[in-house]
Amino acid sequence: MIPIEYFLALAAILFVIGGYGVMTKSNAIVVLMCIELMLNAANINFVVFAAFNQDITGQVFTIMSIAVAAAEVAVGIAILLNAYKMRKSTELDDEKLTSMRW
Amino acid sequence: MDISSIFGDFTAIIPMIALLIGVLIVPGVHLGLKKPTATWGVALAVVIVSLVLNVILLTGDYQGTTLDMASYNPYSGLMILLFQIVLFLAVFVSNSSIETTRNNTGTYYALMMAAAMGMMFVAESSDLITIFVGVELTSISSYALVTLKRGDSRAAEAGVKYVVIGGMSTALTLYGISMIYGLTGTTEIAAIAAQTQLTELNWMFGIAMVAMIAGYGFKIAAVPFHMWAPDVYEGASTPVSLFLATGSKKMGLGVFFQIFLVMFVAGTACSAIAGEEIRYLFAIIAAFTMTVGNVVAIAQSNIKRMLAYSSIAQAGYILIVMAVMNDYAASAGIFHMFTHVFMKGGAFLIVGALICAGIGEKISDYRGLAKRAPFLAFAMMLFLFSLAGIPPLAGFTSKFFLFSSAVGTVDGATSEWVWLAFVAILNSAISLYYYARVVKTMYVDKGETTEKIKVPKIFLAAIVICLVAVIVLGVYPQLVFNYCEAAASFLLP
Repeated sequence: MIPIEYFLALAAILFVIGGYGVMTKSNAIVVLMCIELMLNAANINFVVFAAFNQDITGQVFTIMSIAVAAAEVAVGIAILLNAYKMRKSTELDDEKLTSMRW
Repeated sequence: MDISSIFGDFTAIIPMIALLIGVLIVPGVHLGLKKPTATWGVALAVVIVSLVLNVILLTGDYQGTTLDMASYNPYSGLMILLFQIVLFLAVFVSNSSIETTRNNTGTYYALMMAAAMGMMFVAESSDLITIFVGVELTSISSYALVTLKRGDSRAAEAGVKYVVIGGMSTALTLYGISMIYGLTGTTEIAAIAAQTQLTELNWMFGIAMVAMIAGYGFKIAAVPFHMWAPDVYEGASTPVSLFLATGSKKMGLGVFFQIFLVMFVAGTACSAIAGEEIRYLFAIIAAFTMTVGNVVAIAQSNIKRMLAYSSIAQAGYILIVMAVMNDYAASAGIFHMFTHVFMKGGAFLIVGALICAGIGEKISDYRGLAKRAPFLAFAMMLFLFSLAGIPPLAGFTSKFFLFSSAVGTVDGATSEWVWLAFVAILNSAISLYYYARVVKTMYVDKGETTEKIKVPKIFLAAIVICLVAVIVLGVYPQLVFNYCEAAASFLLP
């Protein structure tokens, strides 16, 4: 059987890649993708812990969080579309999307 | 009348069920009648029904559980009442405000009620799953609410910032919860508290705590996770800003109380996770949050931005509870949340009313307001002085309770958090500077015109409600404080 550390390391690496992407990428759609990556890292954690603890709660939590992530991306893409119509840009470090500071 | 005999097992979640029915029928009413005022009337009626049901439950000392998932107790009843007041104020003025959408009123009210429903479920839950889903219901609805101010490019920008930062905070929270689940094998907060007492403090628990505090710290806009709040409150229409600043932030603080307060106070029995380090962490976050909020607020020229920074500072004051961690502090924190709803809500209502009358959001637009709208200027002065903590207004009373909980325990011994109370009092002095500046602009500076301005009657009614509450709670705090004490003693037995 594969030891639990391998799964946790995979999840941690995914989470860190996602976090790095959120902080460095300037395109809002890529940032949303990176957020998905972070959420899926947590989902892997839940499933692994559920499997190793012989407990169903973690899998239930995963289903909930997948549904939440789907809703969040749906709303997020709609908001980005709206922003693109108003400002003609989805670049987060663009002048067009950073009119409010401090 | 015994209300639980009517609704049976579902009594505990009946305020939410009333709102859920509203969420489902309001878009239908909008599509069927095509009249914004009719949609508003139905939405307001649903909110009032829900409010009345909750008041009956709360005053009847009802306690019960539905489906092992949502439990109605003194704490959740009081928090639900708070969210309902916020929802009532926001829905009440939405139809008269020129900023809110006129084409999608059904969506607007449905989203607002869904967001409030999420907050109420959070208040009733004692399990990380329901807390997570409730917080997300609120967050996702509010992303859409902020962006619903169509055709406004600032709202579009605020929506993008809100959704990106909110999504990241969700991911952080979820990762933290997954670590807690792996460590303890359960998601029930009471069981987690019992489990963590027995285990040694290890790196997994540390990661989980950091991720969860950061994730929920975004929701309450604690420094250093606060940068989204001013942008969002400025970009959103004023009723939505009111709803987010007073409601959404209280939900985050409620989550802090329900998760961390319960976990660490129950955990003090054991020395491994006595929580001393965590208490210092919270104390430092609280000190930074109030200081940054107040200092940056001085530099603002937009009044909605200034109020946003001041509400960051107010969240910092309430975070004192997380450092002191006793039931007197918790009851003071809940009471401050209540008074904050009325004073910050009232200030936002006046800003919204003046926007309807054609006065801008800049503080310089308020020059000579005392001549043009004497009542509004006077009410604004009272709300701002209450936020600064001037007696005999509600803000003074609640701040007094809050800071005195940090200064000493009941038996007269000085506690270790005196420095935190000192920082908080210094911050109140700083905050008086920028509040008084607005008052000076309104009363001393000469305006270009002395023409009287007319604001919608609905706004005046809502402002009067807030004004009465601010004065009554200032002179007679027992009205709510008794309930706050019951709630705190339920939370921390």
